[in-house]
Amino acid sequence: MNRNKFLIDGKITVNRRLINEHYLMTVVISDNFPKPLPGQFVMVRLKGRHEPFLSRPFSIYQYNHQDDKVFVQILYRVAGKGTRILSELKRGAILEISGLHGHPFDILPHASNVILIAGGVGVAPISYLASHYKDNIHNTDMRLSCYLGAKSAKHLLGVETLRMSCSSVEISTDDGSSGYHGMVTESFARNVAAYPPDQSLIYACGPASMLKRISEILCDYPIPCQVLLEQRMACGFGACLGCTVEVKGAGEMKRYVRVCTEGPVFNIHDVIWG
Amino acid sequence: MSVNIGGLWLKNPVMTASGTFGYGEEYACYVDINRLGAVVVKGVSLNPRQGNPAPRIMEAPFGMINSIGLQNPGVKAFVTDKLPFLKQFDVAVIVNIFGETVDEYMRIADALTQADGIHALEVNISCPNVEKGGMCFGTDPEIAHEVTQRVKSVTHLPVIVKLSPNVTDIGEIADSVQAGGADAISLINTISGMSVDVENRRPHLKMVTGGLSGPAIKPVALKMVREVVKRVSVPVIGVGGIMNASDALEFLIVGAKAVQVGTANFVNPRATMDIIDGIEEYMMRHQMQDMRELIGTLNEEEGLC
Repeated sequence: MNRNKFLIDGKITVNRRLINEHYLMTVVISDNFPKPLPGQFVMVRLKGRHEPFLSRPFSIYQYNHQDDKVFVQILYRVAGKGTRILSELKRGAILEISGLHGHPFDILPHASNVILIAGGVGVAPISYLASHYKDNIHNTDMRLSCYLGAKSAKHLLGVETLRMSCSSVEISTDDGSSGYHGMVTESFARNVAAYPPDQSLIYACGPASMLKRISEILCDYPIPCQVLLEQRMACGFGACLGCTVEVKGAGEMKRYVRVCTEGPVFNIHDVIWG
Repeated sequence: MSVNIGGLWLKNPVMTASGTFGYGEEYACYVDINRLGAVVVKGVSLNPRQGNPAPRIMEAPFGMINSIGLQNPGVKAFVTDKLPFLKQFDVAVIVNIFGETVDEYMRIADALTQADGIHALEVNISCPNVEKGGMCFGTDPEIAHEVTQRVKSVTHLPVIVKLSPNVTDIGEIADSVQAGGADAISLINTISGMSVDVENRRPHLKMVTGGLSGPAIKPVALKMVREVVKRVSVPVIGVGGIMNASDALEFLIVGAKAVQVGTANFVNPRATMDIIDGIEEYMMRHQMQDMRELIGTLNEEEGLC
């Protein structure tokens, strides 16, 4: 049996609102919860309940192993009924968690410029990835640059965590209340020419409109870019075929692949942006 | 716990429902496939199908709506790429098939009959018939009869016909597929439905409508299973919203000889194992030795008071 595939109970230790519709949940799990690779996700549901009916997919924000326990942090946005019910759960509530799902980010230990672009709650997997680079990749020539976008200064998430891992964190807000006044993609576009394509690598997660814009910017600057996509899912492990995304196939062909299994990490140029 | 479904012996009455268990691979790390009564694989068509654009699913109250669009690799790739995995196990493999024309159903059935390692066919008649203006095969008793008869004419495998609930008189359709030679009948497929995002005033699904599944449909499924059990003599397989052993027992008590577990697999990938354990425990507790002591024992005379 694959040790990385499990169905396990976890207990909520903290579930608090950070800002607006964003929440941070900490779940304690027995230590047979393996360390997720950046980009992998878990499916979470309230054990023994039919509402919400389906599990919800979440990226890992932080993972800590202490004694014989694992503490997993999930940074999430209340986007509908399911996440609203999860946000109302109190300390001690039991969750059923399946994982580890998905194809992780490719890690390039020898890149000179690792560029992270995160919009909104997309900061969760990007922050986990940044920590992974900081903790595991010991390349003194590597620079980790992060571009973080939000609606306003009040909506910024995970800035401190990112500052601990990254060489620089460029903030953008739609209303100009902090950092660059405008979209995070435009803040990145101002600097894109400075990154040598053969020594650089981009990771991005955020709204589809943000990822689409990055794909347009990169038409002129061929820096490799991996994006982490989000989609509604029923199972999270490849069976329901509910979470497909359209990608380029051979020649002019398009095909549907599963975000949960072939993704959630994709090469930005493989995805067909609607 | 064994049951006989139209000549096919199953070690227990718990199968997976088509479209919820892939071709078995995704579940191998969660369940012991050898313990299943049967695996009913995702529907197979003559040619590969890409399926529908996203969004394809939406949660509904106590269930979900899907419009996957019968995405599958086609019968040829199924036999060469998917079937070998299932052949490793000591489990009955039932292949769900569907076509756009009666001829397609026959060609798929023929191709699968020549393959090794398939124990029965399940015919999905809930899809559109392109020769009849897209009307569903399963809503017309004559066409349902014809599809059944034609599939039977090209295979020696037991043929299960899976009925659509989106009909006025399901008993009539059941009658006609039995007359067409069906060895067993499974029901129900999903119930047509939709839901709307009120903020954006858009349908939640790209295809607008889809099929509702999950516990929301269980009472409808049970009632239809009862109706069909009373109407036909061939074995009936109960499907629809089974989440746990108690749900499965309801169908068996009403008269289904076996059950299929569908949407529950998405929510709890070990659902089938829990259900088998639960039925075993129930039989022990009620001192039953044989499934026949359980199946069809609904006592309607001393009903609710």
